Amino acid sequence: MASVKVQCVSKWFERRDGESLHVLQNIDLEAPEKTITAIVGASGCGKSTLLNIVAGLIEPDRGCLFLNGVKASEFKDWRSMTYMFQEDRLLPWRTAAQNVAFGLEAAGVGRAERKERVAETLELVGLSQFADVFPHELSGGMRSRVALARSLVTRPTLLLMDEPFSKLDPTIREQMHAEVLRIAELMSMTILFVTHDVEEAVVLASRVVVLNPRPGRVRETRTIDLPYPRDRTSAEVQQEARSLRESL
Amino acid sequence: MPVPAATPLVEKRPTDGPKTSHTQGSREKRLRLLSMRVLLLLLLLVIWQVASLGTAPFVLPSPGRVFDAWWSLVVTAGFWRDFGITFWRVLMGFALAAAIGVPLGVLLGANEKLGEFFDPVLTVVNTVSSSIWAIFALIWFGLSDWTTIFVVFMTAMPLILTNVWQGTRTVNADFVELAQTFRMSRLQVMLKIYLPTILPPFFAGARLAFGFGARVSLVAETLGASSGIGYRLRQAADLVQTDQVFAWTLTLVALMIAIESLVLKPLESRLFAWKKKAGGQ
Repeated sequence: MASVKVQCVSKWFERRDGESLHVLQNIDLEAPEKTITAIVGASGCGKSTLLNIVAGLIEPDRGCLFLNGVKASEFKDWRSMTYMFQEDRLLPWRTAAQNVAFGLEAAGVGRAERKERVAETLELVGLSQFADVFPHELSGGMRSRVALARSLVTRPTLLLMDEPFSKLDPTIREQMHAEVLRIAELMSMTILFVTHDVEEAVVLASRVVVLNPRPGRVRETRTIDLPYPRDRTSAEVQQEARSLRESL
Repeated sequence: MPVPAATPLVEKRPTDGPKTSHTQGSREKRLRLLSMRVLLLLLLLVIWQVASLGTAPFVLPSPGRVFDAWWSLVVTAGFWRDFGITFWRVLMGFALAAAIGVPLGVLLGANEKLGEFFDPVLTVVNTVSSSIWAIFALIWFGLSDWTTIFVVFMTAMPLILTNVWQGTRTVNADFVELAQTFRMSRLQVMLKIYLPTILPPFFAGARLAFGFGARVSLVAETLGASSGIGYRLRQAADLVQTDQVFAWTLTLVALMIAIESLVLKPLESRLFAWKKKAGGQ
């Protein structure tokens, strides 16, 4: 089980000229257990900062973060959460399998179990044959799958994603969406992700949080009540996307 | 955990197709390269032989004469002792240079202020010629192993330090952040992100340092040693035994080539397999 609750969070950044920049203002946000929540907003609305706060990489200046109902400062189980970046960030000196194993090495999982879990996870993302291939030999889509596998190998209950597929071709991106939905269901994960692509938000998420920029604040939270799998080109998805775009 | 099949991939494994033809091509290439090298060697020997015909043996001894001199050297125990002593001094100086240069390079790279402060020292050390270090060494250590070791150290250490220092600057902050999202310890970040990033520049520096070290060791030995290849070279030169000078020189060249092709090259291709073919198709 995993849930995220952000309560009245504000954040300022110190700019180089000494002035402080108001990045987030009184953010309230909830990602209930086993749901997919999207944070959408134009660039500069602080959505990545918000995700980094949830990941515990940045401290909020004001407000609270609750993970699984526990206050972040008392939260212990940080390894039940993984983070998928916009770039795949595969280590070039490691093979696909070794890259996936990276997540387990931090957790101190033994060699034998590591091997088993890596093989299992590579199979999950359909890359078993590519275990011993170095990143530079892989296509963009495959690299993205390796990065996904690295985020899944620790069997997280909460997956955070920062525009993870924005650099992929549209067809590959759709494949990855299907993968994520399949795996989220299979592993009963909670997912919180950031995107500027409203269609991506509508296809994946059951809840969408819209942020407005300068300072970043929640404009609205809406529920997407369409049955999965959702076709990007369908009229319902397009209509939801259009109305979302208008509120950006 | 039961695992259903993933959606099929449209992409194909890139190394499947052209790999076999690639290795075949490279074998042909290697064979051609080898025959070219042999040809070059023969050509040089012929030129040497021809040139030696018209000159006195103490100016340019013929290949045959040098080989005879070399052969009579090789069978003596002294040859191997001198050989071993020089090799040991170079290795010792090099090992010390690596043992001090690597941590210092990491330290200077990790701490920007410290790096800025000590930057000029490196420039000064680099401008001082190895022969000057040899003279200093002679003053400080006299006729001992440490004279040579010190000169090798002073030549190799700045090279290793500089390369490691530069290497720490190329550490990708994104990778460090990735490690942080997995809650890795500082030690783990050092071992899993910093070390692999520093390894290629360290290796390049170490290779250079070993080559320079081996060369300057001879200078040091001619000035301040009573054993070793450098000492024997000077002795042979003093006695106008030109054939012996040649024999020692060729031994050294052979040694350096052997180290390069039997140790460094294989080690490099093993360590940096992940870099191979990168960029080139």
